[in-house]
Amino acid sequence: MVERAVAPPPVDTATQPRSDHALMLAVRDGELDALGELFERHHGPLYGFLVKLTGDRTAAEDIAQVVFQRMLKYRHTYRDDGSFTAWMYHLARRCAADHFRRSNAAPHATDPAVLHAHADDRPHAAHHATVRDDHALLHAALARLDRDDREVLLLARFQELSFAEISGILECSVGAAKVRAHRALRALRDIYFNLQKEPAS
Amino acid sequence: MNCQRVRDLLPELLDPRAEAAAHGDVRAHLTACPECARELATLTATAAALDTMAPSHPSPRLRTNFYAMLAAEKQAAGGAFAAHPPPARSARAPLWRTLLTPLAGCALLAIAFYAGRQTTPAPLAADLQTRAELKKLQEQVNKMGTLVGYSLLQQQQGPANERLRGVLTAARAEAPSDKILDDLVSALAFDPSANVRLRALEALYPHADRDVVRAGILAALPREQNPLVQLELIDFVAAAEDSAAAPALQRISLDESTNRSVRDAAQRALARF
Ligand SMILES: [Zn+2]
Repeated sequence: MVERAVAPPPVDTATQPRSDHALMLAVRDGELDALGELFERHHGPLYGFLVKLTGDRTAAEDIAQVVFQRMLKYRHTYRDDGSFTAWMYHLARRCAADHFRRSNAAPHATDPAVLHAHADDRPHAAHHATVRDDHALLHAALARLDRDDREVLLLARFQELSFAEISGILECSVGAAKVRAHRALRALRDIYFNLQKEPAS
Repeated sequence: MNCQRVRDLLPELLDPRAEAAAHGDVRAHLTACPECARELATLTATAAALDTMAPSHPSPRLRTNFYAMLAAEKQAAGGAFAAHPPPARSARAPLWRTLLTPLAGCALLAIAFYAGRQTTPAPLAADLQTRAELKKLQEQVNKMGTLVGYSLLQQQQGPANERLRGVLTAARAEAPSDKILDDLVSALAFDPSANVRLRALEALYPHADRDVVRAGILAALPREQNPLVQLELIDFVAAAEDSAAAPALQRISLDESTNRSVRDAAQRALARF
């Protein structure tokens, strides 16, 4: 068993809000309420990431819930030298992968949750978009993007993560993460501009 | 600088982390090459559209569910904190943790107490019971060809905290081999300490998609007697939506002698399938 001797940086709790990292270390050491503050700070961006990744609001909410559940469950594995945001997206990516694995196996049409989600997303789906609005087009383009490309693009574009952190989340080198993010942006561009050329239905 | 090299570098210019002054040679090329400038314009338009996508907001359900989950976890941590003793880490750890970590046997008592089911009356009796159970389990393992090579079982003569350490070490593997997963599955099925079984189950969570794990969970579900571990197992198969668990869940939900909350959880899991 490896002992980690690195102490967290001293935090002046009286005057400054605690950092994400300090809060997660507190959760790990038994102060479970500190997770509430982390939830308030991060559930919005996390949910936004998951909606864009899955294209499904209900699924995004379910996955976000599971991510926070797993933070509690795995709190003892949070590292002294960790980055909270990177850890959160690492968990989110795994939870989303579970979701995709299940939804590929499940028959969509009979699942009321999926039907509900589709109804929910109707204004954004390309074939229902009567107004050729840029946002609808972009949603449609994102949905057509390869899932891995979508994931790396969303991490690189929306989240305040360094490429070192992104490479940790994706379990690849920094160089590979950059190449993948750049390739994904080009792929999205190609789809997006092709959709713009399509006649409105 | 040729066009191909410039195009490879264009996304770097659009990266929000890139410095404005970087890639001066690329910018110089762009002022002279309309083709590459057009390429940059389309990428810029795409990135800008991405950046201005309307944010979506979750329903109030997410916050409600989160705080309900946090409250439940706090209650569990307060009532049976020994069920999840974290590995001893540093001098910053609270005193109770330092005291409890080596005493996995006591943790088992705390679990039994919390769950309202006194399975082990005293450490000495627990020890005798463990030995008897172990003997029985070894006989069972000998009959099951698939589970030979179970190294954790060999360690069962050792104290529970040593086995716990084995599980925690195995759990740390980022990409565990089949052998490690097999050991964890075996610990889940056969280790006499509920504490060790819980930790093994936790370690298996991230690998729910592996066949060996799925099979192990299905095997453990009907034989598990400790309500806390039962609840965790049900949580696991419900999250994985593994309909192969339905018959076992059905039996649990109908068994009068089973803990009430376990039966309810089984019922809820069945409803999800
Ligand atoms: Zn050029």
